[in-house]
Amino acid sequence: MGGVDVSSGGKGRSVNEEINMIPFIDMLLVTVAFLLITAVWVTFSRINANAQIPGPPNPEKEVTPQTPEKVLHLHILENEFSLVWKQGATVVSETKVPKPEQAGEFIKYPDLGKKLGEEWKLHGGHQDPSDKKVDQAVLHSDNKLPFKEIIGVLDSLYETKREMVIQGGQRELVPVFNMSFSVR
Amino acid sequence: MSVGAHRQHAHKDPHAHAINQPSKKLFRGIPLHFVWRKTQGHGQRSVNAPLALIPFIDLLLVTVIFLLMTFSASGEIGVDKHIKLPQAENVVDVLDAPMVAVNGNQVLVDGNLAGSTRAVEDLGRMQKIDELFDMLKRKRELWKSFHPNKPFPGVCILQVDENIPALVVKSVFQTAAYAGYPNISFMVRKRAKPAD
Repeated sequence: MGGVDVSSGGKGRSVNEEINMIPFIDMLLVTVAFLLITAVWVTFSRINANAQIPGPPNPEKEVTPQTPEKVLHLHILENEFSLVWKQGATVVSETKVPKPEQAGEFIKYPDLGKKLGEEWKLHGGHQDPSDKKVDQAVLHSDNKLPFKEIIGVLDSLYETKREMVIQGGQRELVPVFNMSFSVR
Repeated sequence: MSVGAHRQHAHKDPHAHAINQPSKKLFRGIPLHFVWRKTQGHGQRSVNAPLALIPFIDLLLVTVIFLLMTFSASGEIGVDKHIKLPQAENVVDVLDAPMVAVNGNQVLVDGNLAGSTRAVEDLGRMQKIDELFDMLKRKRELWKSFHPNKPFPGVCILQVDENIPALVVKSVFQTAAYAGYPNISFMVRKRAKPAD
């Protein structure tokens, strides 16, 4: 059993005291049992999206015409991805990324993720850490496209992150894009 | 008196006591010298080997630390058994919000039926799912009645099967947005990022 050996060398009662380990082991076993019972082995998370619904117009406020922001339109085609930056109806740039064949449960497009990061650095309108807004991406897909492929594209879209100053002056890494679906 | 003589005497005397005083019969009555030596440790290793508790305690401590690190206080979130969620790496934690489950046949809001997936697929174009809209709207009004002074967060989480076509996803997404939930999240299975 565990003990503390402190050699005194003198007379009198020994200072070597036995520590009773049984309650300690019992406590550890009970803790292990509790944690095993309450353990969550499958962790779920979420991927954000935004429907981009504008708020109700305020008739008291004067509406001033503003320059439309650049928006990334991501088209998921059969063999490629098309990244189109538009400002209003004007096409600013267009880039194509080949779409690799995906097999298996997990779908990931690493090339698309890298290209989206490069495109954001070139055209992204909200790059300053003090900017609370993020750039908008609109996803265009075929109606028959399986949901897992959409999630694969969203995963690539949220791969690039930037610093944003949040409440209290702290900085946090946030995805550079916010996604919405295109509705025809 | 030797053991043999005692036994012989007991055999001859039919009135001898059958019950004897208890004593260490095993070693004295039956001379098992090899057991005696081993238990007393005379010359050879004792059979009373102490258990090494330190490695056992170490193992328990490591197990406790591992389980504490992987402990999730939020608990397990119920996912429809007919839904197989897709996997993703760039994710955020799940928050408390209405859950809309979309499997191959049905649309469910917190486990209650709120529409048919087949009907949307058969129509072949995006549409507002009326039952889903009504249920989400009721939930929103209920939340507002409980929190009259707080702005409605408008967050809902979609649990969509990985093989559901985009048409159904867009229809559910649009319906939720119309019902006052513009901040929509998709529930996924978290996948660990590979080390760079």
